[in-house]
Amino acid sequence: MSADLVVEDLTAGYGDAQVLHGLRLTVREGEVCAILGPNGAGKTTLLRALSGMVRTRGTIRLGDAALTGRPPDAVARLGVAHVPEGRGTFMPLTVEENLRLGAYVRRGPDVETDLERVYAYFPVLRKRLKQAAGSLSGGEQQMLALGRALMLRPRLLLLDEPSLGLAPIVTRELFGIVRTINEEERTTVVVVEQNAHLALGVAQQAHVLETGRIVLSGTAAQIQADEQVARSYLGYRV
Amino acid sequence: MSTTGTTEAAAPAPVRQRRRLDRRWAGLALLLAAAVYAPFQLVPFHVFQLTMVLVYAVALLGLNLLVGHAGQISLGHGAFFAVGAYASAVLLDRWDLPYPLTLPVAAAVAFLLGLALGVPAMRLRGLYLALVTLAIAIFLVPLLKRFEELTGGSMGLTLAKPQPPAWSGLAEDQWLYFLTLAVAVAAFLLAASLLRSRVGRALHAVRDNEIAAEVMGVRLSFYKTLAFAWSAMYAGAAGCVYTWVIGFVSPDSFTVNLSITMLAGLVVGGLGSLAGPVLGALFVMFVPSIAQDVNDAAPGVIFGLLIIVVMYVAPTGLAGLAGRLTRKIPRKE
Repeated sequence: MSADLVVEDLTAGYGDAQVLHGLRLTVREGEVCAILGPNGAGKTTLLRALSGMVRTRGTIRLGDAALTGRPPDAVARLGVAHVPEGRGTFMPLTVEENLRLGAYVRRGPDVETDLERVYAYFPVLRKRLKQAAGSLSGGEQQMLALGRALMLRPRLLLLDEPSLGLAPIVTRELFGIVRTINEEERTTVVVVEQNAHLALGVAQQAHVLETGRIVLSGTAAQIQADEQVARSYLGYRV
Repeated sequence: MSTTGTTEAAAPAPVRQRRRLDRRWAGLALLLAAAVYAPFQLVPFHVFQLTMVLVYAVALLGLNLLVGHAGQISLGHGAFFAVGAYASAVLLDRWDLPYPLTLPVAAAVAFLLGLALGVPAMRLRGLYLALVTLAIAIFLVPLLKRFEELTGGSMGLTLAKPQPPAWSGLAEDQWLYFLTLAVAVAAFLLAASLLRSRVGRALHAVRDNEIAAEVMGVRLSFYKTLAFAWSAMYAGAAGCVYTWVIGFVSPDSFTVNLSITMLAGLVVGGLGSLAGPVLGALFVMFVPSIAQDVNDAAPGVIFGLLIIVVMYVAPTGLAGLAGRLTRKIPRKE
């Protein structure tokens, strides 16, 4: 059974302010999709709409399951892991407790196996197990957030600005791990990112968002090659 | 690759952890031994005072689940304490129920009431929640006065205290003390095991980051309501034991002041720690009378000043202060 993410005529907003105006996109199972665009384009809102955190209209399907209108905890139970903007670390809890919370919707002995799997991706977390998560560096917290999301065994992984506030070298390492996870686990990934260059490096396809509409879609290579896009949205000169 | 420097420093962490845990259990065992020994050394009035500390400790354990662990607020905890006290008193007075049976009934009544009030209340946050829970504490006292034939109205109910069985050889105050101690130990163990479980982690997640908790599949409303009901259940159990110990209930024993003093006591004792409720209970029990001794005219002022001083010296409560002090000692070796 395919587990493609299909979004049709998606509108979403906060109160009276509508942010997304009829989005349509499809992410094939096992693909990485990058969402690019300037500030205020609605990138974060799109992720929030996918995980049920904002009121939406339209269709969101993951495989056979309709996600539209479900509360966030129900969406999580369907296998959608959202790494929110700002990482959502539980500061006073230990690293291990944070990770175990990631597997909240599952139970059983395979939680231990999954912990090992996360430590294999992020060896630094194993050294910090009993430490309060709030004492980790920004990069370590982002790794923790990603590891915690993996504990859910997601079918769909939503990443919101993983590079935010991190040193370039840490960001590159992080995207390298995202690529590995995508290749090894066949997890579908939707990543919102300001650093378009890095995001396009791991993505197969990309969409450029502006004021709540998709203004350009294509393969990552196409988007990267498009001069106009580069100048207008991606912030580097050609 | 950037972490080679910290490898050695992190290695002995599990050992340190275990040693701290051993010390903690040793400390608890010592405390329990002292608690069992104490009533044989003290005069009855002091035994009674200690008993009341334990009663408040049980109530604060529940409040701590809600405030310290689930991150919600309640200014109406005294109301559930009163519900438990009255449930027990009415059962003893009307139906002559054996007193041990009143404990589960009182706890269950408080739990169900907490659940019923928690469902709407827990949709609110912060100040709004504080206000609604305060309202619960305010309307409860007049309500108790109304059902006069059941509750004795403003005259209250006077009951016979549980008597020590002959085999125990204990005096009444000692027997009441041990009953209370047993309830307190059970309440403490229940809370400790609850907090170590998956449910405990979910509560902490709700407290620390609602959005992150929610996207991980934790149902916020469910846990907030459950925490509210549990805290009510603890208050109800404490209220029931209060009735056993005092042998008298009246609406004036459970004013809004009680709810506020409990919350203040818990914050002073230390939110979110297991020692906090016990230290907070000592505070609730003794500080008002100390304040009275210092100045007869304005005990409230002294009480308030003491709270300010404690919060200034120990912003994480007395439990946090104790933790800081004991951690400093081994480091200097």
